[in-house]
Amino acid sequence: MFEPDEELIGRVVRQLRRPVTVDAGLDARVMEQVRRLPPRRAGGAAHATWGWLTRPRTVPFLPLGALAVAAVFVAVVLWRPDRPSRPASMSEFGFVVVAPRATTVSLVGDFNDWDAARTPMQRVRKDESVWTAVIPLTPGRYRYAFLVDGVRWLADPAAPAARDDEYGAPSSVVTVGGS
Amino acid sequence: MTLLLAATLAALQAAQGPDPRLERLDSISRPIVTALVDSARAVALPTEPLVQRALEGATKRATADRIVAAVRRLAVDLGHARDALGATASPTELTAAAAALRAGAPPATLTELRRIRREPLTVPLAVLTDLVASGVPVDSAAAAVLSLAAKARDADLVEFRRAVERDIALGAPPASATAAAAAFAAAAVQVNAGAKQQRPGRP
Repeated sequence: MFEPDEELIGRVVRQLRRPVTVDAGLDARVMEQVRRLPPRRAGGAAHATWGWLTRPRTVPFLPLGALAVAAVFVAVVLWRPDRPSRPASMSEFGFVVVAPRATTVSLVGDFNDWDAARTPMQRVRKDESVWTAVIPLTPGRYRYAFLVDGVRWLADPAAPAARDDEYGAPSSVVTVGGS
Repeated sequence: MTLLLAATLAALQAAQGPDPRLERLDSISRPIVTALVDSARAVALPTEPLVQRALEGATKRATADRIVAAVRRLAVDLGHARDALGATASPTELTAAAAALRAGAPPATLTELRRIRREPLTVPLAVLTDLVASGVPVDSAAAAVLSLAAKARDADLVEFRRAVERDIALGAPPASATAAAAAFAAAAVQVNAGAKQQRPGRP
């Protein structure tokens, strides 16, 4: 039912060796078809890029990889240079100053944005020349001073003086530790 | 993904904008201080100390020139502090280290403190600065703090500083008072190990 291999191969070889006659108008007809194609629009590269970006596709991923990407994202969102690197515990600190004849005394410093209205000191009932304030502080080093009657600056005689005082009014320093 | 993260970070930083507290500054110092704060943020230095130093000047009614000079000097000191303590230093450590450097402490002392103490360096650095402010020679203060820093708690170091200041007030030479208090504190560190800080404290 099948021809022998040698005979089949011989027929194929003879067929392939026959001279081929190409129609002389072939090139012209092909180019005519090409010219009938719609012209490419301007911005083709952008169009192709947009198509590549918006084409739905399936992306294989590991759940562990997705978790790692999410963790990096959260770390970047939460990261701030000023954020304390360790959890800060609060300690209450008492400030006392003797200011006879004072009408008002304010505690101002790095802990309240140097805002004289933020921490008014209270007069001690037993001795009206003594003023006190208790505020919570996180570990750190703070500069502060007392402002008497809104015009007169007093350093804390019971605390170290701020050595780098560039403003001509005395300040003191309090350091809050964590251990 | 890298581009997305970078864009998110840039957007967050841009969204922060100028610190509204700096509105309290005068029109001359405000833009300069804002630029200094932005520059510090760009190199990951803490900005809160700079803001506070500027606000201190505004509350004390300092001139614009003095405010700008103070903030600029603190920014430089914070940079030097980070060079000495390393990039892992916390903002409070850098603030204390900047004050110590300004007081005259050698950068090598800060680096050595970082090496020998596992706990935060804020209090040791503050004690060093305060001792120098009390008249103790820098070398004596540094040697005493370094001798205690490895094992002493923050409360022990604060008590050590108070002892030195008390002895100086009673007439002892600062260097001698420091050496004596350091020896006493070193012996007391073990005894005080179980004690707790009293509340409220005092500076």
